[in-house]
Amino acid sequence: MERSKQKQVNENENENEADSAINGHFDGRVKMPGWSAGGAAGTPSTVPSSSVMESWREERTRSLEDNEMSLPSIAAAYTTILRGLGEDPQRQGLLKTPWRAATAMQFFTKGYQEKIIDVLNDAIFDEDHDEMVIVKDIDMFSMCEHHLVPIFGRVHIGYLPNKRVLGLSKLARIVEIYSRRLQVQERLTKQIAVAITEALQPAGVGVVIEATHMCMVMRGVQKMNSKTVTSTMLGVFREDPKTRDEFLTLIRS
Amino acid sequence: MEYQKAAELKGLCNGKIVTEYLCRNGFSELTVDSKKVAVQHKNETSRKEAEDESRLPALEAAYTTILRGLGENTDRQGLLKTPLRAAKAMQFLTKGYHETIFDVLNDAIFDEDHEELVIVKDIDMFSLCEHHLVPFFGKVHIGYLPSKKVVGLSKLARIVEIYSRRLQVQERLTKQIAMAISEALQPVGVAVVIEAAHMCMVMRGVQKMNSRTVTSAMLGVFREDPKAREEFLALTKGGQ
Repeated sequence: MERSKQKQVNENENENEADSAINGHFDGRVKMPGWSAGGAAGTPSTVPSSSVMESWREERTRSLEDNEMSLPSIAAAYTTILRGLGEDPQRQGLLKTPWRAATAMQFFTKGYQEKIIDVLNDAIFDEDHDEMVIVKDIDMFSMCEHHLVPIFGRVHIGYLPNKRVLGLSKLARIVEIYSRRLQVQERLTKQIAVAITEALQPAGVGVVIEATHMCMVMRGVQKMNSKTVTSTMLGVFREDPKTRDEFLTLIRS
Repeated sequence: MEYQKAAELKGLCNGKIVTEYLCRNGFSELTVDSKKVAVQHKNETSRKEAEDESRLPALEAAYTTILRGLGENTDRQGLLKTPLRAAKAMQFLTKGYHETIFDVLNDAIFDEDHEELVIVKDIDMFSLCEHHLVPFFGKVHIGYLPSKKVVGLSKLARIVEIYSRRLQVQERLTKQIAMAISEALQPVGVAVVIEAAHMCMVMRGVQKMNSRTVTSAMLGVFREDPKAREEFLALTKGGQ
Protein backbone atom coordinates (compact mmCIF):
# COMPACT_ATOMS: atom_id res chain seq x y z
CA MET A 1 0.00 0.00 0.00
CA GLU A 2 1.13 3.48 -0.65
CA ARG A 3 1.11 4.37 3.01
CA SER A 4 3.66 1.80 4.19
CA LYS A 5 6.00 2.68 1.34
CA GLN A 6 5.87 6.31 2.33
CA LYS A 7 6.71 5.39 5.89
CA GLN A 8 9.77 3.42 4.81
CA VAL A 9 11.00 6.32 2.71
CA ASN A 10 10.71 8.63 5.69
CA GLU A 11 12.66 6.28 7.90
CA ASN A 12 15.44 6.02 5.35
CA GLU A 13 15.67 9.77 5.10
CA ASN A 14 15.91 9.86 8.84
CA GLU A 15 19.01 7.71 8.88
CA ASN A 16 20.81 9.46 6.08
CA GLU A 17 20.34 13.06 7.11
CA ALA A 18 20.67 13.08 10.82
CA ASP A 19 21.56 16.72 10.94
CA SER A 20 18.64 18.28 9.14
CA ALA A 21 15.12 18.47 10.42
CA ILE A 22 12.67 16.41 8.41
CA ASN A 23 9.27 17.35 9.64
CA GLY A 24 10.68 17.26 13.13
CA HIS A 25 12.18 13.79 13.11
CA PHE A 26 15.27 13.44 15.26
CA ASP A 27 17.34 10.58 16.49
CA GLY A 28 17.20 11.69 20.06
CA ARG A 29 19.10 14.76 21.15
CA VAL A 30 19.67 17.90 19.18
CA LYS A 31 23.26 19.17 19.23
CA MET A 32 23.62 22.89 19.76
CA PRO A 33 26.74 24.08 17.92
CA GLY A 34 29.62 25.87 19.58
CA TRP A 35 28.31 25.91 23.12
CA SER A 36 30.67 24.43 25.65
CA ALA A 37 29.41 21.69 27.88
CA GLY A 38 30.80 23.65 30.79
CA GLY A 39 28.61 26.69 30.47
CA ALA A 40 26.66 27.90 33.46
CA ALA A 41 26.38 25.11 35.93
CA GLY A 42 23.51 22.84 35.15
CA THR A 43 22.90 24.28 31.71
CA PRO A 44 22.53 21.40 29.32
CA SER A 45 24.51 21.58 26.12
CA THR A 46 21.94 19.58 24.26
CA VAL A 47 18.21 19.99 24.12
CA PRO A 48 16.24 16.89 24.97
CA SER A 49 14.12 16.58 21.88
CA SER A 50 12.84 13.07 22.37
CA SER A 51 10.07 14.17 24.67
CA VAL A 52 9.00 16.76 22.15
CA MET A 53 9.48 14.75 19.01
CA GLU A 54 8.53 11.27 20.18
CA SER A 55 4.96 11.60 19.17
CA TRP A 56 5.96 12.86 15.74
CA ARG A 57 8.47 10.15 15.02
CA GLU A 58 5.95 7.94 13.28
CA GLU A 59 4.61 10.87 11.33
CA ARG A 60 4.56 11.06 7.57
CA THR A 61 3.33 13.99 5.59
CA ARG A 62 -0.25 14.05 4.44
CA SER A 63 -0.71 14.44 0.71
CA LEU A 64 -3.42 16.13 -1.28
CA GLU A 65 -4.66 12.72 -2.38
CA ASP A 66 -5.01 11.69 1.25
CA ASN A 67 -7.08 14.77 1.81
CA GLU A 68 -9.44 13.95 -1.02
CA MET A 69 -9.80 10.35 0.03
CA SER A 70 -10.63 11.09 3.63
CA LEU A 71 -13.04 13.93 2.89
CA PRO A 72 -16.20 11.76 2.59
CA SER A 73 -15.63 10.03 5.92
CA ILE A 74 -14.92 13.29 7.70
CA ALA A 75 -18.02 14.85 6.15
CA ALA A 76 -20.11 11.86 7.25
CA ALA A 77 -18.73 12.27 10.77
CA TYR A 78 -19.80 15.90 10.76
CA THR A 79 -23.29 14.94 9.67
CA THR A 80 -23.46 12.61 12.67
CA ILE A 81 -22.31 15.43 14.90
CA LEU A 82 -24.98 17.78 13.58
CA ARG A 83 -27.66 15.20 14.26
CA GLY A 84 -26.24 14.43 17.67
CA LEU A 85 -26.46 18.10 18.61
CA GLY A 86 -30.19 18.13 17.84
CA GLU A 87 -29.93 20.08 14.59
CA ASP A 88 -31.63 19.17 11.32
CA PRO A 89 -28.90 18.52 8.72
CA GLN A 90 -31.44 18.96 5.92
CA ARG A 91 -32.25 22.58 6.57
CA GLN A 92 -31.00 25.04 4.03
CA GLY A 93 -28.20 26.57 6.10
CA LEU A 94 -26.76 23.18 7.02
CA LEU A 95 -27.06 21.29 3.73
CA LYS A 96 -23.42 21.58 2.71
CA THR A 97 -22.03 22.21 6.17
CA PRO A 98 -20.45 18.75 6.63
CA TRP A 99 -18.34 19.29 3.51
CA ARG A 100 -17.44 22.84 4.39
CA ALA A 101 -16.56 21.88 7.95
CA ALA A 102 -14.47 18.93 6.76
CA THR A 103 -12.57 21.09 4.28
CA ALA A 104 -12.09 23.76 6.93
CA MET A 105 -10.71 21.22 9.38
CA GLN A 106 -8.30 19.91 6.77
CA PHE A 107 -7.15 23.49 6.18
CA PHE A 108 -6.64 24.00 9.91
CA THR A 109 -4.36 20.95 9.97
CA LYS A 110 -2.53 21.58 6.71
CA GLY A 111 0.70 21.77 8.65
CA TYR A 112 0.82 18.00 8.36
CA GLN A 113 1.17 18.32 4.60
CA GLU A 114 4.39 20.27 4.61
CA LYS A 115 7.95 19.63 5.59
CA ILE A 116 10.40 22.16 6.96
CA ILE A 117 13.00 21.02 4.45
CA ASP A 118 10.83 22.01 1.49
CA VAL A 119 10.22 25.45 2.87
CA LEU A 120 13.69 26.36 3.99
CA ASN A 121 16.21 24.87 1.64
CA ASP A 122 16.53 27.78 -0.72
CA ALA A 123 16.49 30.71 1.62
CA ILE A 124 19.54 30.23 3.84
CA PHE A 125 22.22 32.78 3.03
CA ASP A 126 25.79 33.32 4.16
CA GLU A 127 25.94 36.75 5.67
CA ASP A 128 28.52 38.17 8.00
CA HIS A 129 25.93 39.41 10.48
CA ASP A 130 26.11 38.66 14.16
CA GLU A 131 23.52 40.98 15.63
CA MET A 132 20.08 39.94 16.76
CA VAL A 133 17.40 39.47 14.11
CA ILE A 134 13.80 39.65 15.31
CA VAL A 135 10.54 39.02 13.48
CA LYS A 136 7.66 39.87 15.76
CA ASP A 137 3.85 39.98 15.79
CA ILE A 138 3.46 36.98 13.51
CA ASP A 139 -0.25 36.10 13.68
CA MET A 140 -0.68 32.48 14.60
CA PHE A 141 -3.77 30.26 14.41
CA SER A 142 -3.76 26.75 15.75
CA MET A 143 -6.16 24.10 17.03
CA CYS A 144 -6.18 22.89 20.62
CA GLU A 145 -5.57 19.15 20.48
CA HIS A 146 -7.68 18.54 23.56
CA HIS A 147 -10.92 20.20 22.52
CA LEU A 148 -10.51 20.83 18.79
CA VAL A 149 -11.23 24.52 19.33
CA PRO A 150 -9.09 27.36 17.88
CA ILE A 151 -6.10 28.98 19.54
CA PHE A 152 -4.86 32.25 18.15
CA GLY A 153 -2.23 34.75 19.05
CA ARG A 154 1.13 36.19 18.12
CA VAL A 155 4.56 34.70 17.79
CA HIS A 156 7.79 36.66 18.29
CA ILE A 157 10.98 35.05 17.03
CA GLY A 158 14.53 36.26 17.54
CA TYR A 159 17.86 34.67 16.70
CA LEU A 160 21.54 35.53 16.76
CA PRO A 161 22.97 34.35 13.45
CA ASN A 162 26.28 32.60 13.21
CA LYS A 163 27.35 33.33 9.65
CA ARG A 164 24.04 32.16 8.25
CA VAL A 165 20.78 34.09 8.01
CA LEU A 166 17.35 32.97 6.96
CA GLY A 167 14.88 34.62 4.62
CA LEU A 168 12.52 36.53 6.90
CA SER A 169 9.29 35.14 5.57
CA LYS A 170 10.65 31.67 6.19
CA LEU A 171 10.36 32.29 9.90
CA ALA A 172 6.67 32.98 9.37
CA ARG A 173 6.40 29.86 7.23
CA ILE A 174 7.93 27.75 9.98
CA VAL A 175 5.29 29.15 12.32
CA GLU A 176 2.58 28.25 9.81
CA ILE A 177 3.76 24.68 9.36
CA TYR A 178 3.83 23.93 13.05
CA SER A 179 0.81 25.92 14.09
CA ARG A 180 -1.61 24.52 11.50
CA ARG A 181 -1.81 21.26 13.45
CA LEU A 182 -3.47 19.87 16.55
CA GLN A 183 -1.20 21.51 19.06
CA VAL A 184 -0.32 22.27 22.62
CA GLN A 185 1.16 25.74 23.00
CA GLU A 186 4.23 24.53 24.85
CA ARG A 187 5.08 22.03 22.16
CA LEU A 188 4.48 24.54 19.38
CA THR A 189 6.95 27.00 20.91
CA LYS A 190 9.61 24.36 21.26
CA GLN A 191 9.13 22.98 17.75
CA ILE A 192 9.58 26.40 16.18
CA ALA A 193 12.74 27.06 18.18
CA VAL A 194 14.22 23.66 17.43
CA ALA A 195 13.45 23.93 13.72
CA ILE A 196 15.28 27.24 13.43
CA THR A 197 18.21 25.85 15.39
CA GLU A 198 18.48 22.82 13.18
CA ALA A 199 18.30 24.83 9.98
CA LEU A 200 20.75 27.60 10.80
CA GLN A 201 22.88 26.51 13.75
CA PRO A 202 22.71 30.04 15.15
CA ALA A 203 24.31 31.26 18.35
CA GLY A 204 20.90 31.37 19.96
CA VAL A 205 17.16 31.36 19.32
CA GLY A 206 14.29 32.85 21.32
CA VAL A 207 10.61 32.24 20.62
CA VAL A 208 7.75 33.81 22.58
CA ILE A 209 4.11 32.98 21.91
CA GLU A 210 1.21 34.90 23.42
CA ALA A 211 -2.14 33.33 22.64
CA THR A 212 -5.80 33.20 23.53
CA HIS A 213 -7.30 29.76 23.93
CA MET A 214 -10.93 29.56 22.87
CA CYS A 215 -11.31 26.45 25.00
CA MET A 216 -10.81 28.73 28.04
CA VAL A 217 -12.77 31.67 26.69
CA MET A 218 -15.81 30.05 25.11
CA ARG A 219 -16.28 27.16 27.54
CA GLY A 220 -14.96 25.78 30.81
CA VAL A 221 -13.73 28.60 33.03
CA GLN A 222 -14.86 31.26 30.51
CA LYS A 223 -12.25 33.87 31.28
CA MET A 224 -12.55 36.34 28.42
CA ASN A 225 -9.32 38.25 28.76
CA SER A 226 -6.89 35.55 29.73
CA LYS A 227 -3.79 35.01 27.61
CA THR A 228 -1.22 32.23 27.75
CA VAL A 229 2.42 33.14 27.24
CA THR A 230 5.10 30.51 26.55
CA SER A 231 8.70 30.97 25.59
CA THR A 232 11.66 28.89 24.51
CA MET A 233 15.20 30.25 24.84
CA LEU A 234 18.01 28.25 23.31
CA GLY A 235 21.74 28.81 23.21
CA VAL A 236 23.02 32.23 24.14
CA PHE A 237 19.49 33.42 24.84
CA ARG A 238 19.30 30.88 27.62
CA GLU A 239 22.76 31.44 29.05
CA ASP A 240 23.20 35.19 28.77
CA PRO A 241 20.60 37.24 30.60
CA LYS A 242 21.54 40.43 28.78
CA THR A 243 20.77 38.95 25.40
CA ARG A 244 17.47 37.64 26.67
CA ASP A 245 16.65 41.06 28.09
CA GLU A 246 17.40 42.76 24.81
CA PHE A 247 15.17 40.32 22.97
CA LEU A 248 12.28 40.70 25.41
CA THR A 249 12.55 44.49 25.41
CA LEU A 250 12.56 44.69 21.65
CA ILE A 251 9.48 42.52 21.25
CA ARG A 252 7.63 44.56 23.82
CA SER A 253 8.18 47.92 22.17
CA MET B 1 -51.47 39.93 30.76
CA GLU B 2 -50.99 40.21 27.08
CA TYR B 3 -47.79 38.25 27.14
CA GLN B 4 -49.33 35.34 28.97
CA LYS B 5 -52.20 35.24 26.49
CA ALA B 6 -49.71 34.98 23.69
CA ALA B 7 -47.96 32.17 25.48
CA GLU B 8 -51.20 30.24 25.80
CA LEU B 9 -51.99 30.83 22.17
CA LYS B 10 -48.67 29.40 21.23
CA GLY B 11 -49.73 26.11 22.68
CA LEU B 12 -52.88 25.97 20.59
CA CYS B 13 -52.09 27.38 17.21
CA ASN B 14 -48.94 27.52 15.19
CA GLY B 15 -46.30 30.14 15.81
CA LYS B 16 -47.16 32.08 12.66
CA ILE B 17 -50.49 33.34 13.93
CA VAL B 18 -49.09 34.35 17.30
CA THR B 19 -46.28 36.34 15.75
CA GLU B 20 -48.62 38.23 13.46
CA TYR B 21 -50.96 39.00 16.37
CA LEU B 22 -48.17 40.50 18.38
CA CYS B 23 -46.76 42.34 15.41
CA ARG B 24 -49.97 44.14 14.62
CA ASN B 25 -50.39 45.15 18.23
CA GLY B 26 -46.90 46.46 18.88
CA PHE B 27 -45.48 47.95 15.73
CA SER B 28 -46.69 49.72 12.69
CA GLU B 29 -44.07 48.70 10.23
CA LEU B 30 -42.62 45.33 10.96
CA THR B 31 -41.31 43.33 8.07
CA VAL B 32 -40.76 40.01 9.72
CA ASP B 33 -40.70 36.80 7.81
CA SER B 34 -43.11 35.22 10.23
CA LYS B 35 -42.78 31.75 8.75
CA LYS B 36 -39.06 31.74 9.37
CA VAL B 37 -39.48 32.98 12.92
CA ALA B 38 -42.06 30.28 13.54
CA VAL B 39 -39.61 27.64 12.39
CA GLN B 40 -37.13 28.88 14.90
CA HIS B 41 -39.74 28.78 17.64
CA LYS B 42 -40.38 25.14 16.82
CA ASN B 43 -36.66 24.50 17.17
CA GLU B 44 -36.64 26.16 20.56
CA THR B 45 -36.14 22.97 22.52
CA SER B 46 -35.00 20.60 19.85
CA ARG B 47 -32.69 19.12 22.43
CA LYS B 48 -33.38 18.04 25.96
CA GLU B 49 -30.60 18.38 28.48
CA ALA B 50 -31.23 14.85 29.77
CA GLU B 51 -30.55 13.40 26.33
CA ASP B 52 -27.11 14.92 26.08
CA GLU B 53 -25.40 12.07 27.90
CA SER B 54 -26.97 9.45 25.71
CA ARG B 55 -25.86 11.20 22.54
CA LEU B 56 -22.27 11.44 23.64
CA PRO B 57 -21.02 8.06 22.28
CA ALA B 58 -22.16 8.84 18.75
CA LEU B 59 -20.46 12.22 18.86
CA GLU B 60 -17.29 10.64 20.23
CA ALA B 61 -17.18 8.10 17.44
CA ALA B 62 -17.65 10.87 14.89
CA TYR B 63 -14.76 12.85 16.34
CA THR B 64 -12.52 9.79 16.34
CA THR B 65 -13.29 9.37 12.63
CA ILE B 66 -12.42 12.99 12.02
CA LEU B 67 -9.09 12.73 13.84
CA ARG B 68 -8.14 9.63 11.87
CA GLY B 69 -9.25 11.23 8.62
CA LEU B 70 -6.93 14.16 9.31
CA GLY B 71 -4.00 11.77 9.53
CA GLU B 72 -3.50 11.99 13.27
CA ASN B 73 -2.62 9.09 15.50
CA THR B 74 -5.54 8.73 17.89
CA ASP B 75 -3.50 6.64 20.32
CA ARG B 76 -1.00 9.27 21.21
CA GLN B 77 -1.20 10.64 24.71
CA GLY B 78 -2.51 14.08 23.87
CA LEU B 79 -5.36 12.74 21.77
CA LEU B 80 -6.54 9.80 23.87
CA LYS B 81 -9.54 11.54 25.42
CA THR B 82 -9.93 14.24 22.79
CA PRO B 83 -13.07 12.78 21.14
CA LEU B 84 -14.87 12.86 24.48
CA ARG B 85 -13.65 16.36 25.32
CA ALA B 86 -14.46 17.68 21.86
CA ALA B 87 -17.94 16.13 21.97
CA LYS B 88 -18.66 17.69 25.37
CA ALA B 89 -17.25 21.02 24.20
CA MET B 90 -19.48 20.97 21.15
CA GLN B 91 -22.51 20.18 23.29
CA PHE B 92 -21.65 23.09 25.54
CA LEU B 93 -21.19 25.43 22.61
CA THR B 94 -24.65 24.50 21.34
CA LYS B 95 -26.43 24.47 24.69
CA GLY B 96 -28.76 27.20 23.48
CA TYR B 97 -30.94 24.47 22.05
CA HIS B 98 -31.85 23.36 25.57
CA GLU B 99 -33.44 26.53 26.73
CA THR B 100 -36.48 28.53 25.79
CA ILE B 101 -37.05 32.24 26.22
CA PHE B 102 -40.12 31.56 28.35
CA ASP B 103 -38.15 29.72 31.00
CA VAL B 104 -35.66 32.52 31.30
CA LEU B 105 -37.90 35.54 31.16
CA ASN B 106 -41.16 34.71 32.83
CA ASP B 107 -40.24 35.88 36.29
CA ALA B 108 -38.32 39.02 35.58
CA ILE B 109 -40.75 41.30 33.77
CA PHE B 110 -41.77 44.20 35.94
CA ASP B 111 -44.27 47.00 35.59
CA GLU B 112 -42.32 50.22 35.76
CA ASP B 113 -43.37 53.63 34.59
CA HIS B 114 -40.14 54.24 32.69
CA GLU B 115 -40.16 55.52 29.15
CA GLU B 116 -36.55 56.35 28.49
CA LEU B 117 -34.00 54.35 26.60
CA VAL B 118 -32.51 51.34 28.40
CA ILE B 119 -29.25 50.00 26.98
CA VAL B 120 -27.13 47.02 27.94
CA LYS B 121 -23.94 47.09 25.90
CA ASP B 122 -20.69 45.17 25.43
CA ILE B 123 -22.28 41.80 26.10
CA ASP B 124 -19.64 39.25 25.08
CA MET B 125 -21.07 36.78 22.61
CA PHE B 126 -19.67 33.48 21.38
CA SER B 127 -21.35 31.48 18.69
CA LEU B 128 -20.63 28.87 16.03
CA CYS B 129 -20.82 29.57 12.32
CA GLU B 130 -23.36 27.10 10.93
CA HIS B 131 -21.53 26.88 7.64
CA HIS B 132 -18.08 25.88 8.84
CA LEU B 133 -18.65 24.94 12.49
CA VAL B 134 -15.97 27.46 13.46
CA PRO B 135 -16.47 30.05 16.22
CA PHE B 136 -17.40 33.65 15.73
CA PHE B 137 -17.41 36.03 18.66
CA GLY B 138 -17.91 39.65 19.47
CA LYS B 139 -20.05 42.07 21.38
CA VAL B 140 -23.79 42.65 21.45
CA HIS B 141 -25.40 45.99 22.28
CA ILE B 142 -29.10 45.93 23.11
CA GLY B 143 -31.36 48.92 23.64
CA TYR B 144 -35.10 49.17 24.10
CA LEU B 145 -37.68 51.83 24.84
CA PRO B 146 -40.01 50.32 27.43
CA SER B 147 -43.74 50.73 27.34
CA LYS B 148 -44.75 50.20 30.95
CA LYS B 149 -42.80 46.93 31.22
CA VAL B 150 -39.11 46.54 31.92
CA VAL B 151 -37.09 43.34 32.05
CA GLY B 152 -34.35 42.32 34.46
CA LEU B 153 -31.06 43.44 32.95
CA SER B 154 -29.29 40.14 33.13
CA LYS B 155 -32.18 38.61 31.22
CA LEU B 156 -31.06 40.52 28.15
CA ALA B 157 -27.68 38.84 28.44
CA ARG B 158 -29.40 35.50 28.95
CA ILE B 159 -31.41 35.98 25.78
CA VAL B 160 -28.13 36.58 23.98
CA GLU B 161 -26.71 33.38 25.47
CA ILE B 162 -29.67 31.24 24.47
CA TYR B 163 -29.61 32.33 20.87
CA SER B 164 -25.88 32.58 20.41
CA ARG B 165 -24.99 29.15 21.81
CA ARG B 166 -26.29 27.52 18.63
CA LEU B 167 -25.24 27.01 15.04
CA GLN B 168 -25.90 30.48 13.82
CA VAL B 169 -25.72 33.05 11.10
CA GLN B 170 -25.01 36.52 12.46
CA GLU B 171 -27.97 38.11 10.69
CA ARG B 172 -30.40 35.59 12.10
CA LEU B 173 -28.93 35.87 15.57
CA THR B 174 -29.45 39.63 15.60
CA LYS B 175 -33.04 39.28 14.47
CA GLN B 176 -33.86 36.52 16.94
CA ILE B 177 -32.62 38.56 19.87
CA ALA B 178 -34.64 41.57 18.75
CA MET B 179 -37.77 39.51 18.17
CA ALA B 180 -37.51 37.77 21.52
CA ILE B 181 -37.34 41.07 23.39
CA SER B 182 -40.17 42.61 21.42
CA GLU B 183 -42.40 39.60 21.97
CA ALA B 184 -41.71 39.46 25.68
CA LEU B 185 -42.10 43.14 26.50
CA GLN B 186 -44.03 44.74 23.67
CA PRO B 187 -41.80 47.81 23.98
CA VAL B 188 -42.04 50.94 21.88
CA GLY B 189 -38.87 49.88 20.09
CA VAL B 190 -35.93 47.49 20.23
CA ALA B 191 -32.45 47.90 18.77
CA VAL B 192 -29.76 45.22 18.64
CA VAL B 193 -26.27 45.70 17.20
CA ILE B 194 -23.72 42.89 16.96
CA GLU B 195 -20.09 43.38 16.02
CA ALA B 196 -18.22 40.13 15.61
CA ALA B 197 -15.08 38.55 14.22
CA HIS B 198 -15.64 35.40 12.20
CA MET B 199 -12.90 32.83 12.55
CA CYS B 200 -14.01 31.28 9.27
CA MET B 201 -12.82 34.50 7.61
CA VAL B 202 -9.80 35.04 9.82
CA MET B 203 -8.34 31.56 10.12
CA ARG B 204 -9.15 30.26 6.65
CA GLY B 205 -10.57 31.40 3.33
CA VAL B 206 -9.73 35.03 2.72
CA GLN B 207 -7.72 35.26 5.97
CA LYS B 208 -8.39 38.88 6.78
CA MET B 209 -7.24 39.28 10.38
CA ASN B 210 -8.85 42.55 11.29
CA SER B 211 -12.19 42.33 9.57
CA ARG B 212 -15.34 42.65 11.66
CA THR B 213 -18.94 42.03 10.69
CA VAL B 214 -21.57 44.40 12.05
CA THR B 215 -25.30 43.61 11.89
CA SER B 216 -28.20 45.43 13.41
CA ALA B 217 -31.93 44.95 13.92
CA MET B 218 -34.08 48.02 14.53
CA LEU B 219 -37.71 47.47 15.42
CA GLY B 220 -40.49 49.88 16.23
CA VAL B 221 -39.57 53.43 16.98
CA PHE B 222 -35.89 52.74 16.33
CA ARG B 223 -36.77 51.96 12.77
CA GLU B 224 -39.12 54.86 12.22
CA ASP B 225 -37.50 57.66 14.19
CA PRO B 226 -33.95 58.56 13.15
CA LYS B 227 -33.34 60.52 16.35
CA ALA B 228 -34.03 57.56 18.59
CA ARG B 229 -31.71 55.45 16.48
CA GLU B 230 -29.02 58.11 16.65
CA GLU B 231 -29.26 58.30 20.41
CA PHE B 232 -28.88 54.53 20.71
CA LEU B 233 -25.92 54.40 18.34
CA ALA B 234 -24.19 57.32 20.02
CA LEU B 235 -24.57 55.76 23.46
CA THR B 236 -23.24 52.40 22.36
CA LYS B 237 -20.27 53.79 20.45
CA GLY B 238 -18.86 56.00 23.20
CA GLY B 239 -16.66 54.67 25.94
CA GLN B 240 -15.44 51.68 23.91
